Amino acid sequence: MKVIRTHDLRRTYVLGKSAVEALRGVDIEVQTGEFVALMGPSGSGKSTMLHLLGCLDRPTAGSYWLEDRDMSKLSRDERAQVRNQRVGFIFQTFNLLPRLNALDNIALPLLYGRHAGSVDQRAAEALERVGLASRAQHRPNELSGGECQRVAIARALVADPALILADEPTGNLDSKTGAEIMRLLDELCAEGRTILMVTHDANVAAHAGRILQMQDGRILDGRRSGVAA
Amino acid sequence: MSLLNTLLTALRGIGSNTLRTALTTLGIIIGVASVIATLALGNGARAAVNANFRSLGSDQIQIDQDLELKNGQMQAEGETLTYEDGLGMPGAVPLVDRAEMTVGGSAKVRYGRQTDQLNFQGTDAGALLSVISEGQIQPVGWPADKPLTPQAFIAQGRFFTDAEVVDGDPVCVLGYQTALDLFEGDDPIGQTVWVDRKSCEVVGVAAELEAVNVEDRINTRPNEGLFMPVSFAIQNLFDQEPWVTIIAHVSDESKMEAAKAEIATYLRQRHGILPGPDGKYADDFHMTTRQDVLGAQQQSAATFSLLLTALAVVSLVVGGIGIMNVMLVSVSERTREIGVRMAVGARGRDVVAQFLLEAILLSAGGGLLGIALGILTIPIAASLNQGVALLDPESVPLAFGVSLATGLVFGLYPALRASQLDPIEALRYE
Repeated sequence: MKVIRTHDLRRTYVLGKSAVEALRGVDIEVQTGEFVALMGPSGSGKSTMLHLLGCLDRPTAGSYWLEDRDMSKLSRDERAQVRNQRVGFIFQTFNLLPRLNALDNIALPLLYGRHAGSVDQRAAEALERVGLASRAQHRPNELSGGECQRVAIARALVADPALILADEPTGNLDSKTGAEIMRLLDELCAEGRTILMVTHDANVAAHAGRILQMQDGRILDGRRSGVAA
Repeated sequence: MSLLNTLLTALRGIGSNTLRTALTTLGIIIGVASVIATLALGNGARAAVNANFRSLGSDQIQIDQDLELKNGQMQAEGETLTYEDGLGMPGAVPLVDRAEMTVGGSAKVRYGRQTDQLNFQGTDAGALLSVISEGQIQPVGWPADKPLTPQAFIAQGRFFTDAEVVDGDPVCVLGYQTALDLFEGDDPIGQTVWVDRKSCEVVGVAAELEAVNVEDRINTRPNEGLFMPVSFAIQNLFDQEPWVTIIAHVSDESKMEAAKAEIATYLRQRHGILPGPDGKYADDFHMTTRQDVLGAQQQSAATFSLLLTALAVVSLVVGGIGIMNVMLVSVSERTREIGVRMAVGARGRDVVAQFLLEAILLSAGGGLLGIALGILTIPIAASLNQGVALLDPESVPLAFGVSLATGLVFGLYPALRASQLDPIEALRYE
């Protein structure tokens, strides 16, 4: 089954009188359980692509189907609901709420919208999945960068989304910690999660099953990397 | 997001900067305190109206002599308002049923070897009813809810009768303390005292009395002095005709103004007062009705209330703007948090609810403190308004509601602004 399918996806930003075409017609497909890396220089449109796929933004033209549901015509609230139920975000800067402890940060998506089961239990399970059960009551400033990112990954997992979007997940981490995070993402992929990751780093991208190169708002090629370490 | 979780989130938001929060609510606190004090004044005025309900009966017009200061003494201005003016009034003024005259003065009172300079009051036999209706004096320790009777004012003997007033008999009723001072424990009933060298039989002793109003008790001495028939007092205790106070009872309470006009016409005729060149009369008397008394009291309460209301409105607006300001700062400081919440699925209305609730909690907290401050302020407000201020129980929920409404109104704009942030921009915000 295709988790992501786009057709001629375009996004144009209007800045004053000039229009910037960030995406100029992108067609991609991502299957369930795939780990895809999106690479490309700054300004190539990777971030715009990530925002559109994560329903944080709407395409100017073209179509995007998430699990065969057309996302391009959804309202603001409907997109919020999709983000809540079907998408998990992992950010370069973790984006944990500083006043909440690890468990409460993880539980955050469960508080917006309907989810089965107990909020605390699901959050605790997600925390355990990333190996931080002992850190439940710690606030982000009491956690290391790697631990913060694990908490953020747990938050992305907790609502059992169809798609995990990672934006430079190792960008703020040293190489050893970064490698641990990548190992965690590999495991999640092995468990059948679908992951799309934006990165500059070829070594990081090498974890993905497929690398998409972007330039000037277009996908250059879709060759399989074949490397999965 | 559930209400409970929204509430917890909002509480966390407030807790993040306690000092700023406290300062923000100051305007609300003052505003709400003003609301409480204002309504206490209104309520106090209402209570005073009730307490004074009978201080001047609604059918009564009190007519007093105009006075002027001459040679260091208060003297009657123009013609003296006499006992005869009062006696003739019911016959000459159709709207007046009945008139009571009182006269007051000071006399040397002697019994045996005890002599005291005392105030006397010449009244008619219904004086105790008037005292009761004035509602200023009561027997010591009289329960507020127990109706007063004339008998309650008499400790020994009796009050003088109508017949004794008509005849001008030499009888008197002594104040409680006066009886003790003069008789030193002996039974005064039937004894003769000398009032300015006129003999006078003691027929009664008043009960020990006190001012109804606790604050007035120090200043009033209701237990010193004596009562006697007004006719006796006028005939025997004055060198010249004294001025009296006349209480005219009007037959039809709906015609108080007409009665006033009739009384004025009657007295002007008796005193020979003619209209001046401007058509106005230079009266030597003045008239007061309950409406006049209450009107003046309500007027002063209303003026003060208006001032406080203005203060309340200004404070609440300033407080509201303070809340709006602090919420705008809070929204901008927490832009990234808003972005994160939106990324994990918070809808616009969730963000609105969070920040609106935060604003309402702020103003509600200020409201509660304001209510406490307002209640503490009531005695001060009372001291500025002749002791008239009383907590209005309804003002508490009202003031609380006003503070909630302030939070709602002034929190709405920042909350809407937060909800309309673009999640991508918000996530990038440093």
